[in-house]
Amino acid sequence: MTKRVTLKIDGMECPNCAMILESMEDKLKGVKKAEASYRKAQLIVEYNEAELSIDTIKAEVKRLGYEVTGVI
Amino acid sequence: MNNILIAFITGLTSGGLSCLAVQGGLLASSLSNQIEQDFQTASVKNRKSKKPIKQKPSKLALPIMVFLVAKLIAYSILGFLLGMVGQVFQLSPIARAILLIAIGIFMLGNALRMLNVHPIFRFFVFEPPAFLRRKLRKTALGANGSSLITPAFLGFMTVLIPCGIAQSIMAIVLGTGNPLQGAALMFAFTLGTSPVFFAVSYFATQIGAKLEKQFVRFVAIVVLILAIVTINSGLTLAGSPINLSRLPISLYPQPQRVDAIQAGPAAQAIDPAIGSPVAAKPDLADTEGSTITIKVENYEYNPAEIHAKAGVPVTLRLITKDVRSCSRALIIPALNVQTILDQTGEASIQIPAQKSGTKINYSCSMGMYGGRIIFDL
Repeated sequence: MTKRVTLKIDGMECPNCAMILESMEDKLKGVKKAEASYRKAQLIVEYNEAELSIDTIKAEVKRLGYEVTGVI
Repeated sequence: MNNILIAFITGLTSGGLSCLAVQGGLLASSLSNQIEQDFQTASVKNRKSKKPIKQKPSKLALPIMVFLVAKLIAYSILGFLLGMVGQVFQLSPIARAILLIAIGIFMLGNALRMLNVHPIFRFFVFEPPAFLRRKLRKTALGANGSSLITPAFLGFMTVLIPCGIAQSIMAIVLGTGNPLQGAALMFAFTLGTSPVFFAVSYFATQIGAKLEKQFVRFVAIVVLILAIVTINSGLTLAGSPINLSRLPISLYPQPQRVDAIQAGPAAQAIDPAIGSPVAAKPDLADTEGSTITIKVENYEYNPAEIHAKAGVPVTLRLITKDVRSCSRALIIPALNVQTILDQTGEASIQIPAQKSGTKINYSCSMGMYGGRIIFDL
């Protein structure tokens, strides 16, 4: 089942960071769509709950060099 | 030819840093595969040889060059198109002034964003739409690391995210109303930005995170200064009484009428650099102030402030002698005058009778140098 989550992100310093975060769409299995906004400092992820957990997404954000400060 | 040289120098001195701050991400994306590949190779070698990891930036030279050449072509085409648009819609000095002020505010916000002053300034940066980001990302990350198509494509794409300085040049190109001149100006500017782009990108892998942060701060401060200069140019072009060159006069107002009487009935000048009135040279105005003469120099109009006779038509004489800067392109918004003076020569402009106290501002077409005529004699 597809779930949609909005994460508050800390550490984005330019619009290019949004592109880096969105790369999880290609690399993390189970992510259907990832859309980040540098302006709003947030990341919206649509993912398959059966394949992926929110903790894995948070860990991927951390691996990419950013921090999840909250779930909206 | 002169404007092309100015565009090149602008690119070389300020455009490179400013544009790198905006477009550096695309270049980094296009190089990421190469860097990653180099890094992995170095890591493998390191594990085998136990020598410290050493990047090989030499492999980056070609993709950087391809990126820059693609960018050069894209911006030249953009210059050509903007010149064509300008040919159809000739921008008035006021429209250009508004454009410059808007660009200046945009740059100011961008500089404050880079300095992390407040999250609100994040709205001052152009964020490509999600579909374009996806396309760029898939091209940047999906292509083979050694492929040169990626940097070429991304170099071309930089036209979608022009930096503040590039946008200023674009505004000037729009004002030329000439496709070929537009293409030449954008080519010269982009060529000027290339050495900084190349140098910073080439050594980027050698720069540590700490130094990178310092570099961003440095760029932010440069952009901040340029923003102030751009806003000031807009204000000068709009004929605003408030701008940096008139600041000394505004801060230390002088009793001009008294000095005018002391200096005699002839026109008198105020040197904005020292903020005090000085008697105009006898050859700068006739005894009645109905003919005034301004010497157009490379970096100023002399005198910057001149007094003329009110209530009668006035002849404005403009003298140029080996002038190569934009001061040759004179604009008087109030009189709807736009003229390009000869490098060496003399031109006259007839000014209809003005009411006493009228102040007419003039400037170069880029708003860099300006002055004013006060009708009060």
